[in-house]
Amino acid sequence: MGRLISRTLSRTLLALLLLVALAPILWTILSAFKKLRDIVTPVPKFVFTPTLENFATILLNPSIRDGLYNSVVVVGVSVFVGALLGVPAAFGLARLPARAKGEMQFFVLSLRFMPPVAIAIPFIVIYLDLGIYDTLLGLILVYLVTTVSTVIWLSVPAFERVPREIEEAAAMEGCSLGEIFLRFSLPIAAPSLFGALVFTFVLVWNELLLALTLAAENGTLPVVAASITSLGKEVPWGVINAATVILVLPPLVFIGLLMGFINRMVAPGRK
Amino acid sequence: MANIKCTNIRKSYGSVTVIEDLNLDIPDHEFVVFLGPSGCGKSTMLRMIAGLEEISGGTVEIGERDVTRLPPGARGVAMVFQSYALYPHMSVYDNIAFGLRRQKVAETEIAARVKQVSGLLGLEQLLERKPRNLSGGQQQRVAMARAMIKTPKLFLFDEPLSNLDAKLREKLRTEIRRIHLDLKTTTIFVTHDQLEAMTIADRIVLMKAGAIEQQGTPSEIFDRPATRFVADFIGSPAMNFRDCTVANRGEVVELSSGSLHLEVPAADFEPLADGTIVEVGLRPSKMDVAGDGAHNAITGRVVLVENMGSEGQVVVDVDGRDMSLVTKAFRSLSSGSPVTFAIDADSIHLFSKRTGRSLRKAA
Repeated sequence: MGRLISRTLSRTLLALLLLVALAPILWTILSAFKKLRDIVTPVPKFVFTPTLENFATILLNPSIRDGLYNSVVVVGVSVFVGALLGVPAAFGLARLPARAKGEMQFFVLSLRFMPPVAIAIPFIVIYLDLGIYDTLLGLILVYLVTTVSTVIWLSVPAFERVPREIEEAAAMEGCSLGEIFLRFSLPIAAPSLFGALVFTFVLVWNELLLALTLAAENGTLPVVAASITSLGKEVPWGVINAATVILVLPPLVFIGLLMGFINRMVAPGRK
Repeated sequence: MANIKCTNIRKSYGSVTVIEDLNLDIPDHEFVVFLGPSGCGKSTMLRMIAGLEEISGGTVEIGERDVTRLPPGARGVAMVFQSYALYPHMSVYDNIAFGLRRQKVAETEIAARVKQVSGLLGLEQLLERKPRNLSGGQQQRVAMARAMIKTPKLFLFDEPLSNLDAKLREKLRTEIRRIHLDLKTTTIFVTHDQLEAMTIADRIVLMKAGAIEQQGTPSEIFDRPATRFVADFIGSPAMNFRDCTVANRGEVVELSSGSLHLEVPAADFEPLADGTIVEVGLRPSKMDVAGDGAHNAITGRVVLVENMGSEGQVVVDVDGRDMSLVTKAFRSLSSGSPVTFAIDADSIHLFSKRTGRSLRKAA
């Protein structure tokens, strides 16, 4: 009897927590399909005639379309290049003697200490001189600082957890350091590296300040979304909600793709 | 197949030297065990021969070829690690086949050799599994198969059995020994377990603080320890040590300490001055219950008897200090009762108090 009560209680609590966590997301998704008069009501409406108007507004709005495109390019390239440079760097750091490792890791971390505001203004000046102000390339370059350092910082522990003896066994079979990295350390560390990449992706996907200051015209999605909210007195709630849904979709797709990739990589059976 | 020759090996980490001027020859086909307490440099030595650890000075030759500066893969050696180090993302088959695939051996030949090796080690049923789905003993066998398939010139084992339970350890020990009798590949096996070393080795290299303390066959090490350290390290229960005073009596040397009076032939030992204090070592397994009149008899009072099945370890109080012996006749003894036991003069060891070296003349 007591067990039944405690089980019911714990389940109720779990359901409540789940509701608290998911309600805003569900509400956002619901509102994305509502007309403005269904949103701005004293009593929340659960039954309404759904509309795709908001999504149409968003996807037909060139600034939002461009923002989405810019975001995908900028974030995609900076995370990809960041991983390409950062993951091997982390492998190297993980295998370095302890003293040099600590100092280099601290240097990498120190890149993240800097508040973005502090680097934004010098970057404007430098970018204007270089002629890459308000370009996607400029934004990618500045995001690389974030992605490379975050990827390195989060990947070093992943490689440190790869048993040293496995790398040594591979070396005994005649593998070069590059082969050891590609065929052993990378696949073994992959599940942890996955987390690092997702975290890095989300970090730059949501970045607003640098995007706002360095690429105001070729803005990424957060910049565009921010501009919608300040359109005027009549806030287009439905459009904002639809924009949110669209803003959230690419990271979800990205995570799904990466997850599939990793599952394939560590899948059982040969060939 | 190859002999190994290590000349003037030195290993230092920064300013700390852990191995200095070590020389070692291992003839072809021999099964050598590096034995010693942890931190004695035995694993470092093995890793230097493998090429996993840089050699600070000296040379290593495998089969008359200087490999000192060669990477591990080019030395023709295979190693079994303490943690097995199986590739977790590959099946057992792929683990075993990896080395051959890398050497671009034809897939049909790989299949044949995997079949042969896995048959030898009883792994046929497990080839499709992932290492995490194997027991410790099975993982150990896969690691051995992976090492064997490359038909290396030299096998290296780095404490391969220490993660297994006692029963499995014994079984695999026998298996490793049997495989060596078949393949005759020169083998170096590192362990800190003296019993394992005694049972498996052709020759034991006993190390202490980065230097070789003694090398020889298990019986040589057991019966003729060169130093007190070796005598103490080998054998369970451990050797009994007593400080005794020397008195020369012509043909024999008398050693006494309290009620203890032992006699050894003077000719077997280096000349000792009267009154010198030496450390006498008595191996428990070389002593047995005896009558009162026996030569080199020791009398004491039984403290406790440990039944080990076919034998018993008896702890005896002699002059207020414990001395242990191993005897089959332990059932007639009980704590508190007096007992007389004796040791053969040939099994009495004398060590210098100053240097710790054995005072017995080399045979």
